[in-house]
Amino acid sequence: MECVFGMVGNGFSLVVADSSAVHSILVHKSNEDKIMILDSHKLMGASGEAGDRAQFTEYVQKNVALYQFRNGIPLTTAAAANFTRGELATALRKNPYMVNIILAGYDKETGPSLYYIDYIATLHKVDKAAFGYGSYFSLAMMDRHYRKDMTVEEAVDLADKCILEIRSRLVVAPPNFVIKIVDKDGAREYAWRESVKDAPVSTS
Amino acid sequence: MSRRYDSRTTIFSPEGRLYQVEYAMEAIGNAGSAIGILSKDGVVLVGEKKVTSKLLQTSTSSEKMYKIDDHVACAVAGIMSDANILINTARVQAQRYTFAYQEPMPVEQLVQSLCDTKQGYTQFGGLRPFGVSFLFAGWDKNYGFQLYMSDPSGNYGGWKAAAIGANNQAAQSILKQDYKDDITREEAVQLALKVLSKTMDSTSLTSEKLELAEVFLSNGKVKYQACSPDALNKMLVNAGLTQPATEES
Amino acid sequence: MMKINFSGLEPTAPLQGEPSELFDGISNSPSFAIPNTTNFDGFQKEAIQMVKPAKGTTTLAFIFKGGVMVAADSRASMGGYISSQSVKKIIEINPYMLGTMAGGAADCQFWHRNLGIKCRLHELANKRRISVTGASKLLANILYSYRGMGLSVGTMIAGWDEKGPGLYYVDSEGGRLKGNRFSVGSGSPYAYGVLDNGYRYDLSVEEAAELARRAIYHATFRDGASGGVASVYHVGPDGWKKLSGDDVGELHYHYYPAEVAAVDHEMTEVPVA
Repeated sequence: MECVFGMVGNGFSLVVADSSAVHSILVHKSNEDKIMILDSHKLMGASGEAGDRAQFTEYVQKNVALYQFRNGIPLTTAAAANFTRGELATALRKNPYMVNIILAGYDKETGPSLYYIDYIATLHKVDKAAFGYGSYFSLAMMDRHYRKDMTVEEAVDLADKCILEIRSRLVVAPPNFVIKIVDKDGAREYAWRESVKDAPVSTS
Repeated sequence: MSRRYDSRTTIFSPEGRLYQVEYAMEAIGNAGSAIGILSKDGVVLVGEKKVTSKLLQTSTSSEKMYKIDDHVACAVAGIMSDANILINTARVQAQRYTFAYQEPMPVEQLVQSLCDTKQGYTQFGGLRPFGVSFLFAGWDKNYGFQLYMSDPSGNYGGWKAAAIGANNQAAQSILKQDYKDDITREEAVQLALKVLSKTMDSTSLTSEKLELAEVFLSNGKVKYQACSPDALNKMLVNAGLTQPATEES
Repeated sequence: MMKINFSGLEPTAPLQGEPSELFDGISNSPSFAIPNTTNFDGFQKEAIQMVKPAKGTTTLAFIFKGGVMVAADSRASMGGYISSQSVKKIIEINPYMLGTMAGGAADCQFWHRNLGIKCRLHELANKRRISVTGASKLLANILYSYRGMGLSVGTMIAGWDEKGPGLYYVDSEGGRLKGNRFSVGSGSPYAYGVLDNGYRYDLSVEEAAELARRAIYHATFRDGASGGVASVYHVGPDGWKKLSGDDVGELHYHYYPAEVAAVDHEMTEVPVA
């Protein structure tokens, strides 16, 4: 089942998500990217109902882009987090989006940051966060090994520890994960951790 | 001759003009003037008060200066009842932005949202444009100190020094001559008072006819400070723009 | 003073409860029967559940070297009752694009036709065919806007566009997945078993068609809600083409010919003394 987690290190934030698209007992896809790159310096890892996840993250991404077009300046990560929270809160009593979000970003003034936003529109600024069944394992792992001054390598090491724990202790563990990073140089994919590969396709 | 084209705001004349909008600007030309000057450590706004009476309770409300949010203030020239509506919408906009993003609204966005409102009244049927010009002084983290000027058509622009209201062209040309890029806030105050002393009709400036406000940073926080009449009088005496009030005391 | 309420006589007044047979056809006010229940929300939920998760179907599609192979069974069932053995579950959206049908037949047919219209309009407006990505997004956005209202659609959009073969899975929960290999419906676990095992990217068209057919056949063998005919379509650079439609019963005997059973006691003629 779904596992999304993230942490803040020294000068960067990191987000990890599983990449399984599941319907009841069926795995439809094991390379679905659940971390959206919102803009040049923001990452949005999301878990929840497939339709809501895709639709809501895209909606936020388009709004962040619209703000930048209109005003010539990007939203800060804090502003984007509060905007996202607001959208979830207004939807909550109408047609709620079933999505939990980990928002990571890097701003010139404030440096790296990480926000925990759940589907009932709770917003927390945190050092480490996790959603889904994997959170029980990854949270414990991060509580034990996390340090504020971790380098990228150390943080990825910790992420790998979390992934290993999930794979070995969670009954319904997803096989594959993506790791993405955001720092002063921007948001980008860092690595995939795949134990099952789809048959290769030369065209795409 | 072209009487047909000035009775409605939303209709162009054959020469491509919107008379009602131009008349609105004309109305502002008769109003009390205001000057704004951008300095490296703050923004200065000075306004000329037109309503002066011994009976007026001046301390309870200011005539020309309004705080929009913690980081933005404005000076007004024109029809005050119109201005009150716009100031209210600007304040609401600023609070809405803070509600959505939990941070202060960037100054230009605030000015733009207000000017969008103004523009609407030059286009949609049966309405009269707002007879108000504004000077906005503010600070935000993206562009630091800023000064904007807007007119009834909804046009706005960023300025280093600007004047609105009566005699604004004369004021503008003095500002153009005397403005220096590295001006300090103190110098900006002096300059603004000097310009007003030359462009205002009255012979001597007193705190009864003036309002002064400054936006600056103190301990990393934006501060809006309106000058008290006493302090303003002292300043005027120091600048040699008025006689010390000896006969009164 | 009391006023008499005439509102019941207005032609627009809603009829409550089941319309009486006596007045059928007389009253021309639009109305529909309301279920005889105190818990309307619960009833509605149950009704939705009745049509929703069943998807008594097997459909599959995969991308390979030669394009996209699409296959499906042809059985329509309502619970245990087989209502048809000859349903077209592969819907021809346009000459270059196919959709598959799982879930509510009406929902699938209606929205695929609707998609067909939108694709054609796109073609007229832009002077080029819509991409599979675009078409699937169009459908997914529509289905998402109706989410929670009881639509039941599980479909694959397969086609050939400027970028080559394309395949998306789209469902009425708003899900939309890009992929190389999908199967949808109650028979899909069986189909996946055969498909995953036999799939290679460089299959020939004949091999791919046989893999698809075989996957459908095995699904119909184990899944009671799937059966009838295994249809196989191929989408290549020049559009789609139907390759085969075989009765799965016949396929069974083709794959596993009847063996002559060993007989315990053979009757022998006793020669007349």
